[in-house]
Amino acid sequence: MNDTVALSEDQRDALQELMNISMGQAANSLAHLIETKIGISIPKITAVTPDGLYELVSHNQQAYYTRQSFMGDIHGEVMSILTQHGLTEVAELLEYEQPLSENDINETILELSNILAGACLAGLSEQLELATNLQMPTLFAPQKSDFSKYDWQHSLVMEVKFDIHISSFTMRVVFCLDDASLTRLKSTIDELLG
Amino acid sequence: MNNPLLDKLPVGICLVNEAYEIVYLNAFFLDRMPVELRGDALGKPLADVFPEQIKFLKRRIKSVFVLKHPSFSYWEQRPHIFPFKSSRPITGEETQMVQNMEIVPHKDIETGQQYACILIQDVTAQASYFKAQAQLAEELKAEHEAQRKLIRKLDRAQSQLIQAEKMASTGQLAAGIAHEINNPMGFVTANLNTLEQYAQNLLETCQATKKLVASHAPEHIEALEDLFDATHVELIEEDMGPLIQESKDGLKRVSDIVSTLRSFAEEPQHTWGYLNLHDTANQLVQLISTQFKRPRFKVTCEPAQLKWYCESASLKQALTNLMMNAAQSIDENGLVMLDIRQTGSGTVAIKIVDTGCGISEANLKRVFEPFFTTRPEGKGQGLGLSVAYSAIEKHKGKLAINSREGKGTVIEVRLPVLKEQEEDKSASNPSTESL
Repeated sequence: MNDTVALSEDQRDALQELMNISMGQAANSLAHLIETKIGISIPKITAVTPDGLYELVSHNQQAYYTRQSFMGDIHGEVMSILTQHGLTEVAELLEYEQPLSENDINETILELSNILAGACLAGLSEQLELATNLQMPTLFAPQKSDFSKYDWQHSLVMEVKFDIHISSFTMRVVFCLDDASLTRLKSTIDELLG
Repeated sequence: MNNPLLDKLPVGICLVNEAYEIVYLNAFFLDRMPVELRGDALGKPLADVFPEQIKFLKRRIKSVFVLKHPSFSYWEQRPHIFPFKSSRPITGEETQMVQNMEIVPHKDIETGQQYACILIQDVTAQASYFKAQAQLAEELKAEHEAQRKLIRKLDRAQSQLIQAEKMASTGQLAAGIAHEINNPMGFVTANLNTLEQYAQNLLETCQATKKLVASHAPEHIEALEDLFDATHVELIEEDMGPLIQESKDGLKRVSDIVSTLRSFAEEPQHTWGYLNLHDTANQLVQLISTQFKRPRFKVTCEPAQLKWYCESASLKQALTNLMMNAAQSIDENGLVMLDIRQTGSGTVAIKIVDTGCGISEANLKRVFEPFFTTRPEGKGQGLGLSVAYSAIEKHKGKLAINSREGKGTVIEVRLPVLKEQEEDKSASNPSTESL
């Protein structure tokens, strides 16, 4: 494995804890906005190759995908995987009127991704005192992209799962960081660990 | 906030406070607003200025205030959020501006007040370019599909052409050979008749000689009888008749085969007309049985001498191929039946039944594929059934095949009644004409 990717156990624990807090904040904000309960999983932090990332995001056929890049002190991309099941109920919570048009569905997917991914990133940046800017999310079809053509070999992936209690809807958010950002992230964590 | 630089930005800016009131608009935003709204928009609630959009805007702004991070709207889902005119009112194709929207949280450092900053980007040009691209892609896809269909048709046409060419040359060859056989057949038959006469005369001469010698020179009769015995005159007398008759019968058979071959091969191509199906079936069986001695053949036609409007060359070709397959499937003893029957509705059902080796289930799916064959290399081109199929298609008919391995095969051809006009139409319309 690439050295820049390897995190020490302490670094990993710290990052996991930071993620946990920011995810919790994200879930809270969303719960407040749509007035329903939201559950989160314990964040998983792994290093992956492009093939591994493909495996990670594409095993569920019945899913919608979005990606969104972020810039600032750290650079990377967030991929969100949303189940198709239960999306209608969530759209209703977001005040969309039934029946949903294709545009309504797409807008719901993009808005949900933006809210959750944005909240995670904002929480993480705030705790690490890093400035980040999230760009506009777009719909994405991993089946149509060739992951093996990506010019990176390893990436750090932070994965978390949200469940919205009112429906069977779940969503996974996968953060991918580039090498330079990883180095920056690690040094910031080290500072925090003192 | 009133920074003149903000008025130079190619982005529309609208600042909204927590009471959803408009507190700032930059020049880009103002310039594109409908004239009647421009004057007193500032300070007014957002709901009063944009009542149609307020539900969506409020939801998004609320999310920005609550979550403190940006909210986005993309033109593909929601192209015209604000009722803005196109940036090209004169030359543009779009009359309304296509917009991307971003709402970002903004906190006034001095007062600590929260604002939502609506940023509007004009993406009309990109959107129309994108739409044109998408349309082009759609057109390309359709064209590609059409081409694929054409290629498939071309493939089929080519394989049929190969077969047709082969059949045409075999037909020509057969007609040529038939002609060549007919010439010697003519003089052989004539000579045989003359020879029969001559032989008769010679035998009669022998008998007369014997009588003459007996009455005029009885002392020589013994020597003559010895001579006759030595040359087997008696045997010749007995054997000559049947020998000549047998040869004549043989010649008759040859001439029958030759004439059938000619009537089958010399058919002008692609002409529609009435064909006597009963006669054709009989001729066909006669031809095939010369090649395949093992199976027994049976022809039935109801009503007898049924005449059918068709393109005789291709229909004969189809029947020949089907009958050949049936005959080939029989190794030892077996039966090939050709049953032609006109049904109550006027259509004709042609059934070809054999008790041959049958076709396995896996192969049954592929029998109509051009070049599919189970025969050893060099023994068959695998075009028989596909040619038959397209010939039946040309007659708007249906071909069904049913087979059990080891038991035999039943092929049923159903032909609808075709009128002369229909056939003309199908000939002049290339899309329905089978190539």
